[in-house]
Amino acid sequence: MRSIRRNMRLITAMLTLFMAGMAALSFKIYSESSFYMSNSDSVSLGKVYDRNGDVLFDQNADPDTYGYDHFTDVANFIGNDSGQMTNTLVSENIQYLSNYSFSAGLRNENGNSSIVTTLDHAANQRVYDAFGDKNGTAIAYNYLTGEILVCVSRPGLNPFGGYNDLEDGSLLCKAFYKFTPGSTQKILTTAAACETMGSELLDSKRYKCEGAFVNRSGKEIFCHFLSGHGEQNIREAFANSCNPFYAQLVEDGDFVMNNVMKVFRDMGYSVNGSKAISLEINGISAETASTVLSDKGDFSTEWGFIGQGETMISPCMLMVWQSAIAAGKGCSVLPYVISSTTDVVGNVTEMKSAGSTKQLFSPETAAYVRELMVSNGTRYSDSIPGYSLGLKSGTAQVKNGEEENSFLTGFNTDTDKPIAFCVLIENKDEWGITTDSIVSALLDAL
Amino acid sequence: MAAEKVKENAKLNYFFIKLFVVLTHIVLLLNVYLNGVYDDAAAVIILSAFVIASDVIYFMILGTFTQDTYTVDYLLVLIANISLIFQSCFGGVQFNLKHFITLTAGMISCHAGYLFTRNSFKAEKFRPYCYAGIGVLMIVILLFAGSRSMWINIGSFSVQPSEFMKPLLVMICASSLQSQQTKKKYWIIRTAPNNIGMVLISVLIIAFQWWCRDLGSIPTFAAVTGCALINRLCYPKAAFSKRKIGALAAGAVALAVLAVKFAPGYVKDRLYVDIWADQYGNGYQQCRALIAMAEGGWLGKGPGAGRLSNVAAYDTDIVFSSVSEEWGLLAAILFVILIVLMLATSLINTPKCYYHGTIAVGVTAVFVVQMSLNIFGSCNMIPFTGVTLPFLSNGGTSIVTSGFLIGMLKASQSPVFVRNIVEVEPGTERGDQS
Repeated sequence: MRSIRRNMRLITAMLTLFMAGMAALSFKIYSESSFYMSNSDSVSLGKVYDRNGDVLFDQNADPDTYGYDHFTDVANFIGNDSGQMTNTLVSENIQYLSNYSFSAGLRNENGNSSIVTTLDHAANQRVYDAFGDKNGTAIAYNYLTGEILVCVSRPGLNPFGGYNDLEDGSLLCKAFYKFTPGSTQKILTTAAACETMGSELLDSKRYKCEGAFVNRSGKEIFCHFLSGHGEQNIREAFANSCNPFYAQLVEDGDFVMNNVMKVFRDMGYSVNGSKAISLEINGISAETASTVLSDKGDFSTEWGFIGQGETMISPCMLMVWQSAIAAGKGCSVLPYVISSTTDVVGNVTEMKSAGSTKQLFSPETAAYVRELMVSNGTRYSDSIPGYSLGLKSGTAQVKNGEEENSFLTGFNTDTDKPIAFCVLIENKDEWGITTDSIVSALLDAL
Repeated sequence: MAAEKVKENAKLNYFFIKLFVVLTHIVLLLNVYLNGVYDDAAAVIILSAFVIASDVIYFMILGTFTQDTYTVDYLLVLIANISLIFQSCFGGVQFNLKHFITLTAGMISCHAGYLFTRNSFKAEKFRPYCYAGIGVLMIVILLFAGSRSMWINIGSFSVQPSEFMKPLLVMICASSLQSQQTKKKYWIIRTAPNNIGMVLISVLIIAFQWWCRDLGSIPTFAAVTGCALINRLCYPKAAFSKRKIGALAAGAVALAVLAVKFAPGYVKDRLYVDIWADQYGNGYQQCRALIAMAEGGWLGKGPGAGRLSNVAAYDTDIVFSSVSEEWGLLAAILFVILIVLMLATSLINTPKCYYHGTIAVGVTAVFVVQMSLNIFGSCNMIPFTGVTLPFLSNGGTSIVTSGFLIGMLKASQSPVFVRNIVEVEPGTERGDQS
């Protein structure tokens, strides 16, 4: 009977729909099971290793096995599963460490899950110790392959010491957060000027520094060398890190603000709230750079180009820019920290760099800035002996000028040791540990 | 023809089906014994004894029935004792006597449902009593269930009388062709009298459920009525009318939107909750259920090794996850497939009359909607409503009702066509109708 057949079709439709739902459910549970397990306390986690097999994270670590300070140098970068720290290697990649898979089930006793990183633990420990009693951060990577080799942040965290009475900043890796960059910003301002004006026109610009420069709005921009540098071209001004030169460059008619702002955006800045370049390192989000620019004669804008004002850059971003300059391509190799993962049943997956950034500036600009930085780097041959480096230092005034942060960023020109780096010492004083000594220790350790 | 079929059944004697049922139970019990978590092996032995013994007793009882087909019965025995094994293992192996009793009641209820509806002429005449039954149930709920609740507590037992409305509504929604042909004009609509009654009682039930704050059952009632409406609106044409079904679907969507808009606050909280952001609030049960399923994987942690038994409603609303955790997602899906197969028997042993066809549609609608709400709700694919999973969830009312509904399904496959009979004895000569 046709009417009964209609009933059967209704039944078929209902059962088919339901079974389709069951199939969707199975797929959902299978594909999301790792996420669910990240909220479970019954699964054990595998270990994290450095490039030489040294353990950087062990869920069941004890001081007797590893030594009390074994993890302190990288603990706020590697993180753990306690939930106290986010944006760390472990917290963002816990699915790779979970001794579990939906097919294999829970294998807490005989799971093989682990992560091998690109870090060199011995080098990290040496760099961490090189900070002495100062706080700050140092990050270095291979600018040809993208492997992060060193990433320390002081104050560090001793996982054996608990989480009470921690010094401010212990729980985060400062390399991924923005700071006022000081004169290291001049690398990018020079690059933007070269990109918009061309190297010949930029080379032809000469301005006089008398220790201070009164800008269009009548405010003074001081040079750190109060007696003045005299008349300079860009190469001399870059080496002297001369603020009045850069303020006059910004006010120059050939320095077209709209063009420069576009180049800044291309380089990855968030300009006046625009979207910044996204920098994610195996799930870890790194802040990049931001600035607020308005008119040429605006005091804050001019300081923004010099590295104060509203300009903020993360040490990681400064390091990544060095790749674009050092390799002379104008685009940077993106950094990564996980070189391989092993799943619960022992299958190894090799991980590689996420590739390169888009073109940040032209290869010609990269070569131009590279030349300036390498020339500047020769001044450090005594404090960082044995290397041919491209360098730029920076001193940023923070907390209303009460403290100064000291930066040194650059790269090694030797492609046998293609290291780009950025070192920051917070609240630097006139004596004691210097960024030069930390960079020296860093390069020697790698 | 029917006699030949009975003869064929006798010849086959369902030997291999019986063997399959018993072997399946034995394999599951062996898994409990070898991989289960228990303090005393006696618990496994008691469970095994009850399962195997009840299998044999059910087979013996079934042997005394005279039906056209026994497929549904054997599938039900298979499902019931798998359910008993599952329920006896949650959180540690311990024979679940209460579940055994309710399952036995469910089996009895199944045969009652069969006897009640196997004669379509008789069953259709019973329709006025179904209306009255629903009215009585509503009054009982209003009088005894307390303020805006659906539960009546009798000693240590809780009964949910609204569950009994489901088979009654299925019977009201079932219709013979004959009753569809006697149409009358009501205002601007020309339709059969029982269609008006069906729509009115459905609206009344849904409004009552809304008032009682048992919103989880509303989709089930709505689905039964919806299927009946599709059937009736499209009658007498052989093909489905796309326009009418489209209009019905649009109306259903509009009503659903209105329902969501005017839903009580606690329901809206459940509709929009981000369970992972509210893991210890409104999303607690679903989060634990999903984590348990993930921990179980395809093959499970082992009978009795689950931790979900520490979470409320582990054996009712999130029972699918409890089974997945201990027995694996594969086993949980296979169990659900068994229920689907039981419903799909209607496609093979097709009903012989329109009335039984509509009964099969109604029963399928109840089961599919309940299973969907339970399984997909607990897994956060749809809002969590807290309804039971037929035959698997712990709960007497649910199992007895489900049993009765399956009895109605069985009746559609082994009908009796005798007009005006007073009593139908096993072995009564059957009519045949093509």
